[in-house]
Amino acid sequence: MVRSESGTLTAQLRPGGGLERWAERHLRILMLAPTLLILAGLTLFPTVYMLTAALQKVSPDPSVPREFVGLGNFARMLTDPELHLAVRNTVVFTSVAVTLEFLLGLGLALLFDKYIRRLNFLKTILLVPMMIPPIAVALTWKLIYQPQFGVLNELMYRLGLPAQAWAGDVNLAMATIIAADVWEWTPFIFLLMLAGLASLPSEPYEAAQVDGASAWRQFWDLTIPFLKPVIAIALLLRIMDALRLFDLVFILTVGGPAGATETLSLYIFKVAFTFVDIGYAAAISLVVLFVTVGFSTWFIKRLRLAD
Amino acid sequence: MLRKLFLTLAIATSALAINGVAWADITILVPSGSEGDGLRAAADDYAKMKGTKVEIVQAPYANVFEKAANAGQTKSGAFDIVLMDDPWIPFFAENGHLEDLSSYFAKLGVPGPDNDFLAKSLSVCRNPYNTGPFVCIPYVGNAQMFFYDGAKFAQAGLAGTPATWDDVYKAAKAITDAGGGRFYGYVFRGGQGNNVVADFMPLLWSYGANLFNADRTKVTLDTKEAKDAMTMFMTLREISPKGVESFGPEDVGRAMTSGIASSSINWPNWVATFEDPSQSQVVGKISYAPMPAGTHAGSSEIGHWTMGITSASKNKQEAFDFMSWATSPEQIKISATRGNPPVRFSVFTDPELTSQPQFRHYPTLMQAINFSTPRPRHPKWPEIENALGIELSKAVAGTVTPNEALKNAQEAISKITNMY
Repeated sequence: MVRSESGTLTAQLRPGGGLERWAERHLRILMLAPTLLILAGLTLFPTVYMLTAALQKVSPDPSVPREFVGLGNFARMLTDPELHLAVRNTVVFTSVAVTLEFLLGLGLALLFDKYIRRLNFLKTILLVPMMIPPIAVALTWKLIYQPQFGVLNELMYRLGLPAQAWAGDVNLAMATIIAADVWEWTPFIFLLMLAGLASLPSEPYEAAQVDGASAWRQFWDLTIPFLKPVIAIALLLRIMDALRLFDLVFILTVGGPAGATETLSLYIFKVAFTFVDIGYAAAISLVVLFVTVGFSTWFIKRLRLAD
Repeated sequence: MLRKLFLTLAIATSALAINGVAWADITILVPSGSEGDGLRAAADDYAKMKGTKVEIVQAPYANVFEKAANAGQTKSGAFDIVLMDDPWIPFFAENGHLEDLSSYFAKLGVPGPDNDFLAKSLSVCRNPYNTGPFVCIPYVGNAQMFFYDGAKFAQAGLAGTPATWDDVYKAAKAITDAGGGRFYGYVFRGGQGNNVVADFMPLLWSYGANLFNADRTKVTLDTKEAKDAMTMFMTLREISPKGVESFGPEDVGRAMTSGIASSSINWPNWVATFEDPSQSQVVGKISYAPMPAGTHAGSSEIGHWTMGITSASKNKQEAFDFMSWATSPEQIKISATRGNPPVRFSVFTDPELTSQPQFRHYPTLMQAINFSTPRPRHPKWPEIENALGIELSKAVAGTVTPNEALKNAQEAISKITNMY
């Protein structure tokens, strides 16, 4: 009886009523709500906008109503030679750049793991390119490649070799972009591989040494299988990033010469913001999104990363 | 707990309201570089004088178009004024992104900007070109000139101003031949897109060719005149430095300021750099000439920066007042001293300016503007420029023959414009 009276009294003394109690009960949801709303706004709205725009002809004139064209924007992609060139260039860039980054990154990580473990300052230096803003990386390489004043041609000149047009040469332009990207992103692979190597168990190696396995066999039969999840994640992240290459191309070549370095991202940017053809740009972006998601899912399943 | 939430909301709202006091009265989108810097300085002066807060949003050249087009399409009203490159005007005007200025001039009791503006400068601000209502006011008087090192051209056997592209080629070839792969007689912008198109158009015009026929019903790149222009363009390419296939204006400017190249087409804002001892090894050596002739009289490409009011602006009258003030004779003269070529006759001929060495190119520039040609006025110009730019880039890079490039460009532009 006393407890009941006391409880009633306490409830009466508390400021506010039912709404306050409801707010206190759902405090966690209320605290998260603004973030969830912002995230939904930033992800859901553009996605829905892209899905609807891809099926419409969107005029740059806001007074002209949107016209439903169904799969028209997608059909247009089949006969667009500039898009086909951009796809080809993107595939070439991604496959060559990511392969080189992986081989170099893994090689460097093995070197550091085996022989130069204590030279931490060297590791830090190696990581610097990754930390520089991409636009600064692009501008730096633009200066390096400059045909008359660039460091590279000065070096060629001193070595008695003929100067090259580098970013201006249709046969070299893609290689110049790849080289800059490899310089920038090899440290990323290196960092992941180094972390992976540091976490390897020592017992299987000791057993292998007792069995007389060569260094190569140890690397092939132990290191690579153990590193497989790390390798897969590193490759997946780099491939997804390489597919949306923009900064380097925009600064170094603007897609030229002769379309030799035009990539998908650059083309989508041009269609959306230079030609102001939002519907077609949305359709291309959507296909790229599906291909990237499809590839990632296949890749994860194939390497059984989900397990 | 709920009271705390309300308190937080109240503080946030108050903070927004306080910030609102500091929001700009007018916001102007400008490009990076001297044009934008000049207008930024003018905006500061205006704010001090009138108490109007003018916010300047500065972006790289390509992004100005992108931001303005995006703001126009979404009717965001993010910018009250846009400083536009003149070939963009048909796109903005014909898609309803720009305010017709007729009523604002009518309020002042005048039909449009005064006659002290050069006629060609005013023409670009009308849409349709030269006949329609004013949709902007000219601010920076850009038109290409021909830049050359007079002493080197004289040594190469050409005394006086090069009158034709053949003159240019002969002198420039002699300089390149004697340069041993380190010095060149000519340099141009061969970078894909806007770059290569900007340097090709004057040649196209000087051989009597154009992108479209007079009544804009057909693309005319498959003509003998266009082929002649292309032949000269490729001939000049042969005597230019290695790597011009990727050159933009900075690369051309640097080749000139370092003395590596002896002539080029360029915009007048480079004059200040050429005459600046801290940036140039050719101070006082560069001469300025009108565009050389081909088989027809030479004509420069006009590239004025113009101010227009966006249709979604909520401060249109304030924007017009600022534009009128910033383009007055006094302000255009101040803008000229800040490195922006003028658009007014009185400033071009002002003895206080023309008596100074850094403005010695004014008579040539005024002549270049008076005999200039605008890039084809078409709302799809960005797409047209992209298509032509890719084909010209292919020709310059040698992946297709010059004639194939013209044929491909003809097809691509016909498709874009629906002109067959």
